[in-house]
Amino acid sequence: MSQTLTVALPRRATVVGFFQRYGVYLAIVIVLVVNLAVTPNFFTLDNVRVQLVQVVPVLIVALGMALAIGTEGIDLSVGASMALAAAVIPLYIGYGVVPAALIALACSLLIGLANGVMIAVIGVQPIVATLSLMVAGRGIALLVAGEQLRSVTDPGFLALGRGAIGPLPWSVLIAAVLVAIVAVLVSRTTFGKQLVALGGSRRAAELAGLPVRRILLVTYLLSAALAGVAGVIGTARLGASVPSTLGNLVELSAITAVVVGGTPLSGGQVRVIGTVAGALLLQLITATLVKHDVSDAYSQIAQAVIILLAVYIQRGRAVQR
Amino acid sequence: MQGRWTDNKEVGLAMHHSLRSRRSLVALTAAVALSGAALAGCTNTGTPTSTNAGGGDAVQQTVKPDDNGPTCTLDQYGGTAIDLSDAVVGFSQSEKEDNPFRIAETQSIEDEAAKQGVKKFIKTNAQSTLSKQVSDIQDLIAQGADVLIVAPLNSDGLEPALKAARDKDIPVITVDRKLNATACTDYVSFLGSDFIEQGKRAADQLIAGTGGSGKVAILLGASGNGVTTDRTKGFVDEVQAQAPGIEIVAQQTGEFARDKGQSVTEQLLQANPGITAIYAENDEMGLGAQAAIIAAGKEPGTDIQIYSVDGTRNAVEQIAAGAYNGVIESNPRFGPLAFATLTSFLAGDAVGQDIVIEDGEYDPSNAADLVDNAF
Repeated sequence: MSQTLTVALPRRATVVGFFQRYGVYLAIVIVLVVNLAVTPNFFTLDNVRVQLVQVVPVLIVALGMALAIGTEGIDLSVGASMALAAAVIPLYIGYGVVPAALIALACSLLIGLANGVMIAVIGVQPIVATLSLMVAGRGIALLVAGEQLRSVTDPGFLALGRGAIGPLPWSVLIAAVLVAIVAVLVSRTTFGKQLVALGGSRRAAELAGLPVRRILLVTYLLSAALAGVAGVIGTARLGASVPSTLGNLVELSAITAVVVGGTPLSGGQVRVIGTVAGALLLQLITATLVKHDVSDAYSQIAQAVIILLAVYIQRGRAVQR
Repeated sequence: MQGRWTDNKEVGLAMHHSLRSRRSLVALTAAVALSGAALAGCTNTGTPTSTNAGGGDAVQQTVKPDDNGPTCTLDQYGGTAIDLSDAVVGFSQSEKEDNPFRIAETQSIEDEAAKQGVKKFIKTNAQSTLSKQVSDIQDLIAQGADVLIVAPLNSDGLEPALKAARDKDIPVITVDRKLNATACTDYVSFLGSDFIEQGKRAADQLIAGTGGSGKVAILLGASGNGVTTDRTKGFVDEVQAQAPGIEIVAQQTGEFARDKGQSVTEQLLQANPGITAIYAENDEMGLGAQAAIIAAGKEPGTDIQIYSVDGTRNAVEQIAAGAYNGVIESNPRFGPLAFATLTSFLAGDAVGQDIVIEDGEYDPSNAADLVDNAF
């Protein structure tokens, strides 16, 4: 009588699930290892700082985008919110850094408000509502700025983009705090639970008596406010308010970061840390391509391949479910 | 009202719903308008605003001498002689006016139209959309334009509009971007800069400034744009021919935008700490590079030199301040030259098919004196 030995092979679904859940972290490790091997000066403190500083605007925008996507929505107007915040800064910087930044945030909140009202109250589809503000918002920003680029020279304001506490740049610190706040908001607060429930099934949320409209309104306000913060930081970093180009196509980078980070476009889940990792991955890939002087055409193709992979992984998850 | 609706609960609810929506919408609109008005009333820029957007009476364009290329006359093109003071002049601008070049270009043409006292001046802006430019030009023709000045968005794609003008024998002068079409047949003349020459002159400035050695990074313009191709070709060929000691270590696109120029430069400075000079294909990217150099803890203008093409006020001011090294001008003030060309053409004289403009240049020796020429 022979003894049978059973070996617990991991089931295929488990393996796939692992990649879906942790693929983005694995990809970051791969990119880092590749750079360790082939890119000079990659593992220096200065370079780490550059990558972190550069990822900040996309990351902050992606946090808001993750919330919108979590409700099974989307926010295409984030670039316009950034542009509007940027356009307003030079007009009010004379009052000081904090008042100017607050007014800029208030202006981007107006875009969030318009989105929220259209989506929550009138019932316009998020993609349509935010698309209209994506176009109109930048137009308004250009009008506010008088279609002019303006330099911002206030030293306090420039420090926001270029200064640091010890080794940590201000902008990175702000981003870290915002990540923490959004993470707590999603996982520890009633609002977060309601948001996820709403994204899972709007009908069920309505039947359960959740304040659906308020949740949607607040979500788009948050998304616009976060984009506004990104606009203020982006302006501080440039030392100039450039509403015509600041935040161009940022919505696509943000959506990619969110999706690559494991948040499904079908809503009902928000992965905050995954979103951070997604944004970092995109940043590292761009950095690698630029540092190796890869021509623009190839780097666009490379980025497309990454997005395709992310979408493929999303599809896998949907099938599994 | 209550009595009328109580028997139909659903309608009552709907009514209530829409009333509430409308009320909150009205309130929101009011809030938006009020806060907008409140904010607009009390801006504080903290700095005196400069008002040289259009560069009204700054230097005008001069035609480059010894231009003995093919010419075009009214007889060859077809059409009728008309005095400009009796003519409806249409101007089709290509891109959104959110950059200094376009603002100065439109301003210059508009000013000159007023100065010449044309019967009527109509301008359109295609907002960077090719199909809109085609319909813009057709609209201008429909509105009775006798002559057209067109800043083409693209070298190709305007054929339907050009044909509409051709059918009515309306003279078309193109400015700043050249069409892939036959001069004196599809359009009269092209007025513009020689972009290859601009790249070459930027290379000459850079070679002189760096002593012909060092590592250079190029910030390219938008991919697939003829201006990018020409400014790159002129620069790279000249560097290879004149300064073998200069190594071009990177060519990356900054998409003509300041923030892209900044982030790309940050990456390049990290990867190649030995970079000694940067050539940017427009001023905006050059200024972005300047911000990146400052962020890297180096002195722009001395540790790392910056050269670019455009001639915007912001960049020229930086040269005067010693934090930027050279700018080759790409003159946007086409108004006087365009109308001078039209006047002689309509009077029956021969005009050049390719009228290349003499662009100025700014360096530390003249920037402070010429800053008012910048746009």
